[in-house]
Amino acid sequence: MSKPVPDHVPPEMVRDFSLFTSPGMGPTPNGDPHAAVACAHDAPPIFYSPNNTRDGRGTWVITRAKDQRRVLHDTATFSSHRSIFASALGENWPMIPLELDPPAHGVFRSLLNPLLSPKRVIVLEPAIRERAVALIDGISAASTSCDVMKDFAFPFAVSIFLSFIGLPDERLDTFVGWGKDLLHGEGIKRTAAARTIVAFIDDLAAMRRKEPADDFMTFVVEAKVDGRLLTDEEVRGIGVLVFVAGLDTVATAIGFDLAYLARNPKDQQLLRREPDRIVLAAEELLRAYSTVQMIRVAKKDIDFEGAPIRKGDYISCATMIANRDPAEFANPNTIDLAREDNRHTAFAYGPHRCLGSHLARREIVIGLEEWLSRIPDFRIKEDTAPITYGGHVFGIENLILAWS
Amino acid sequence: MRIIVHNDKCQGHARCWAQAPDVFKLDDDGYILRGDIEVAERDELLATRGARSCPERALEIDRAFDALLDRFLFNQACGGFNT
Repeated sequence: MSKPVPDHVPPEMVRDFSLFTSPGMGPTPNGDPHAAVACAHDAPPIFYSPNNTRDGRGTWVITRAKDQRRVLHDTATFSSHRSIFASALGENWPMIPLELDPPAHGVFRSLLNPLLSPKRVIVLEPAIRERAVALIDGISAASTSCDVMKDFAFPFAVSIFLSFIGLPDERLDTFVGWGKDLLHGEGIKRTAAARTIVAFIDDLAAMRRKEPADDFMTFVVEAKVDGRLLTDEEVRGIGVLVFVAGLDTVATAIGFDLAYLARNPKDQQLLRREPDRIVLAAEELLRAYSTVQMIRVAKKDIDFEGAPIRKGDYISCATMIANRDPAEFANPNTIDLAREDNRHTAFAYGPHRCLGSHLARREIVIGLEEWLSRIPDFRIKEDTAPITYGGHVFGIENLILAWS
Repeated sequence: MRIIVHNDKCQGHARCWAQAPDVFKLDDDGYILRGDIEVAERDELLATRGARSCPERALEIDRAFDALLDRFLFNQACGGFNT
């Protein structure tokens, strides 16, 4: 269902490559989608992929970290407003601040930054750790194996996210289901999930307007920008973004990390023996297993490093490709848990640097620390195979770990 | 050693702060404070790591200053300023 390659794209710049349809991008038992896309570095640094979005659109693919930095910094040329969520509903409103360009972006970013700053995350840390410990102790008391995604990674990440926005844990499974349908479902399922999430955010905002609580949604409905309250559409744009961003990224990172440690006992032992190394190791695992593809839309024609980009073209900055750039990282396909000077782009470059990055990092580090200190030597359970997939957000499921 | 801070490039990754919180100070939003940083000798290793971990290249390590300072101290020790 890919669309024809536009006339302005030179045929020699077209490559048969896609984060959705290339080998290893579909559900793959024991797959390694990050290694699979690293082969993009065998092609020229910029090429055109005829089918590189969920809805089959073509994109330019920027493979080098240094070029991705340039694209993500140049917000005057490369806009991030493409209503990726709203378009699933046939609507056109931005998720905020992600899909706003400067200067409007900065106004909302300044509003939200303090809520997720490094200092704020230090305050949240004890509650995060408590949650991790409770889940892992429950697992280890019950059995000597578990499905990491279902039993730990998702409940952990999603419950922290729910308490952040001010919702009780009891609806956790419902939210995880919506997130799955939205991010990985097809057609009708996806549209239905998008509608449900919008209605839910709108309801929550209305509730908090009527009865304020000490939570994120209350903050948003009471907040002012430029001396005025936020519009309903702005409140929705913020709520939906936080919902979508918080649901599955951290869980997926923990899943890929534990899968790596299960398969690499030496590294597992190293972190078990010297837990002080986990902070640095988590950065290397973020580099090696980053999960997000950023898309920008050209606002004007530009010849970029030899690529004739025209107004309206999509430009893909896939974190998992830049993070395997040999010009940026020595031996990019080797995972070195002691790697220094690790300037990876798991949380993007530029003004749209992931707002939740500090919280995400703490969750990942705490998740690994508590898992390693409470679960003995673990491995992928015999006769099981984790299933990985590529796409807009990479993922892993059916990760069954076992220990003695 | 001195660290030249390019505030316009800082995007709030806070990787410098994670490596050396006493050297790199952040504002309430999580972005680095304005102004270049003089680094005490005992903090040089961590400060260097912090600067090198910035994904945006907002922190520039300036050692030219060290050479100047060394020459100044040497001259002073030799009584160079009196001659």
